[in-house]
Amino acid sequence: MEKSLFRFIWKFSARQQIFILLITVISYPITYILLELPKLIVNDAVQGDGFPRVILGLEFDQISYLFLLCSAFLALVVTSNGLKLYINVFKGRLGERMLRRLRFDLFQRVLRFRLPHFRKVSSGEIIPMITAEVEDVGGFIGEAIALPAYQGGMLIVQLGFIFMQDPLLGLAAVSSYPIQGYVIPKLQRKVVLLARKRVKNVRLISDKIGESISGVPEIHANDTSAWHSADFSDRLYENFKIRYEIFNRKYFIKFLNNFMNQLTPFFFYLIGGYLVIEGNMSIGALLAVIAAYKDLAGPWKELLAYYQIVADVDVKYQTVVENFDPPDIYPVERLTSDEHIELSGDLTLQNVSFSGGAAGQEVMDITMTVPAGQSCAVVGQDGSGRSEVLQLAAGLVSPSSGRVEIGDQDLDRLTAATLGREIAYVGGAIHIWTGTIRDNLYYGLRHRPITTPERTGDALREYGRRLLEAKETQNPTYDIEALWDDLSATGAASEEALDAEALKLLGAVGLDADVYRLGLQSRFDPGMNEAFAERILAVRRELTQRIAQDPKLKDLVELWDIKTFNPSASLAENLFFAVPTDPEITPDMMPEIPEVKEFLASTGLDKKFLSIGIKIAETMVELFANVSGDSGLLGNYSFITQDELPDFERMIRVVRSEQQKPGLSENDKVRLLSLAFKLVPARHRLGIMTDELQSEIIASRTQFRDQVVDKDDKFLAIDPNLYLPPLTIEDNLLFGRPRVDRRDARQRIDQVLRSVVEETGLREPITYAGFNYHVGISGSRLSAQQRRRLALVRGLLKNAKVTILDDIATGLSDEDRTLRQSIRTVLDGRTLLFGTPNEEVAAEFDHAVILDQGRIASKGTQDA
Amino acid sequence: MSLESEVGALRKVPLFRGIDDTKLRLLAFISDRMEYKTGERLCTQGEEGDSAFIILKGSADVLVNTPDGEKAVAKVEANSIVGEIAILCDVPRTATLVAANDMDVLTVSKDDFLKLLKEFPDMALEVMRTLALRLEQTTRDLAAARSGAAA
Repeated sequence: MEKSLFRFIWKFSARQQIFILLITVISYPITYILLELPKLIVNDAVQGDGFPRVILGLEFDQISYLFLLCSAFLALVVTSNGLKLYINVFKGRLGERMLRRLRFDLFQRVLRFRLPHFRKVSSGEIIPMITAEVEDVGGFIGEAIALPAYQGGMLIVQLGFIFMQDPLLGLAAVSSYPIQGYVIPKLQRKVVLLARKRVKNVRLISDKIGESISGVPEIHANDTSAWHSADFSDRLYENFKIRYEIFNRKYFIKFLNNFMNQLTPFFFYLIGGYLVIEGNMSIGALLAVIAAYKDLAGPWKELLAYYQIVADVDVKYQTVVENFDPPDIYPVERLTSDEHIELSGDLTLQNVSFSGGAAGQEVMDITMTVPAGQSCAVVGQDGSGRSEVLQLAAGLVSPSSGRVEIGDQDLDRLTAATLGREIAYVGGAIHIWTGTIRDNLYYGLRHRPITTPERTGDALREYGRRLLEAKETQNPTYDIEALWDDLSATGAASEEALDAEALKLLGAVGLDADVYRLGLQSRFDPGMNEAFAERILAVRRELTQRIAQDPKLKDLVELWDIKTFNPSASLAENLFFAVPTDPEITPDMMPEIPEVKEFLASTGLDKKFLSIGIKIAETMVELFANVSGDSGLLGNYSFITQDELPDFERMIRVVRSEQQKPGLSENDKVRLLSLAFKLVPARHRLGIMTDELQSEIIASRTQFRDQVVDKDDKFLAIDPNLYLPPLTIEDNLLFGRPRVDRRDARQRIDQVLRSVVEETGLREPITYAGFNYHVGISGSRLSAQQRRRLALVRGLLKNAKVTILDDIATGLSDEDRTLRQSIRTVLDGRTLLFGTPNEEVAAEFDHAVILDQGRIASKGTQDA
Repeated sequence: MSLESEVGALRKVPLFRGIDDTKLRLLAFISDRMEYKTGERLCTQGEEGDSAFIILKGSADVLVNTPDGEKAVAKVEANSIVGEIAILCDVPRTATLVAANDMDVLTVSKDDFLKLLKEFPDMALEVMRTLALRLEQTTRDLAAARSGAAA
């Protein structure tokens, strides 16, 4: 990587830099004339004489001459500002492109680091390097060459003018430069060092923050927040100290510059005055020189400021890139090469040694062979070198001596395109990506884009631009919107076949039941698969029928019926007999939906519901007024929390006072209405529901349907023949609510539901729906076991020639034994390395290698 | 089906006799009201007890396991509380309860009942008094039984 910023800039933008310089130079005469023209207008056109004038054979009288000059002035204003606009945009674009190139290069280098290198660097340090720290570099690049060249040129011209007037005065003008040229870099160097220190300190701070976030349970569990706070605060103080020192020095340099610059006129007046008095120089020349000197100050100041920025940006650049150039970084071809060699043959390790840099992470002189298509257990406790041997076999780390080969291919020389496709590795520390289960299942197939999406019109133009920019900045031209899942690797003919294969493997590792449950809980868009929605509706009908026929079941469920009130559902559901299309809308937000508001007002239900809300609030306040906040009773049973209680007390006081003013605010009304909406009569037996009110609610349903549901897409009617996307699949299957006043109604109905789903063959599509379940940040919404099994399926799905598993299902329980059995069945005929700390497990595999303290303790082969 | 009617029933339960209405309302509110049809089980002997039952309507048979199968030993009627032993001390259910006819039952979970006692010490006192009376009664019965046996 280019060690200095200027080398980087010159290497990748020399042409553009010269272009910027040219434009800047061209703009100079325009600016100059622009400044001269007003003088000409005043002196020559307004106050001048000798009209008419002849210009280019045309005659001008005074007025038209004035008009001509003013038009020229206007034209120059437009040209000069247009040029400025153009060059600024050009500079900005160049800076952004260079920044993109730099950032991408840095990221790609992170991917090229060898695994052991990540023991030395943390993400908390690397992230700010690639994001914030190089940001200033981008802003600077456009100015990097043009500014010093232009301002330097100006400076030389002005100086030349002064020297021509009088060499002595010229010397006086530059007298302070040598001192400034000597002292300021010395001072600046100290600032540069401080800036480096500051950058490193900020990195440490961001690392501490990152560590505190990932270790936050430990902080709470050990009450160490004080220690972390003190540590953090200390770092901040360190930062302050460095910054403060930088300020002091920076402003001192500024002071020195200003002082020196203003000292020079002192010499002018003294020497120039002396010369004029002595008669060696005319007064006019002295004034001209002083004027020229004033013009000198501008470029000089700019140059000094530029020098300071360069020093600052360059140190930032260097402090960043020095971290991205480890000597053992993988060549870029390893990552980018598309060369893919099929690996076949025995896997052999020959006199392989490797050291991870700490005790228990090294292996010495390992020689072993796993014949192609057979399985081998690699046995060893943690620290025996087991994980290292398996990583060596997967080509993830390189041996310090010896060779790892498959067939006659040395793994160390192969590209990622070969290693990552021919070998499947699932290690002890797995990672689940933020995304859906499907994303994670097929992650191992996403090597390169497979198809290019069809684009036309604007999309095509936009894509062309994207490609162009990528080429400008040496970014890859891979299309993120393309299809990436490489079906051919798995042997699946279509996406459906791939899904089926994934389901089979999920079954093999015992994860299918979990995914099925997630599927039941997930929402599904019927637009994607109408046939599936239709099948769900068929199951709903079947289930409804079964419930209706069985008096025992019928007693457990309140089925939806537009003509009857459902005491196990909330008042909102009962009233609307519809659900909001947006699943994010909670009952609290409902009273604020304009359509709902209008409906309530037009039917007069708003007053009734408001009074229900008031009654609920009254009861809650009365019941819980004397209960202390920490008892937890309120949180479990009430609609309102302890914090809200005083607020509702206030509302009730307002209502009871019967004064018109101030009355309930709109917000109060919304909150009371939402209380009423949340009431489930069978659960909250507040004695509010009267038969009359029930029939009124039922009567309003059709009105709501006509007035809101049919006209708007904000609500979807509860209809036996309609799939409701905002509800989960499970809630769509059961067309009703389990009764809240029957013991275990939910569980008993679930059982029936499950058996109907099994009978109708809906289990499989529901499991597929579970593929779209979002696993949360790094799979946080899955259990640790689910995550491991998902990673295992990901590895198995790759269908690789060699599969290497470490620390997966290594226990002696029946569950683990079955899992191992099914893994072996799935991988039958392919090479399998199975890492386990358990010696007894080894007997299940064709071969076994037992490691102890980094050496092979024994090798064995099972008798066939 | 409202809190008021439940409070009316609770007031008739001896254990809650001395407790004022607002607290009974709270107790009723935090309990779940359940319906049981004839023959359905409220709880089964030997399982972990996590709630007490206050019978509002109907009655239940108390069954205990004997070598000859389950045998009815008693009947609990409306306005009585059953299963409170299990929620005061951690013992498995000592008997099975089966609805003898259609019942309405208030179910109080163990956690909530304990929270309520903690919240209102006079209620705890009342519970204690009732239990002490019951213990006294049992002791007297035992003494009578022993002297009867000795005679």
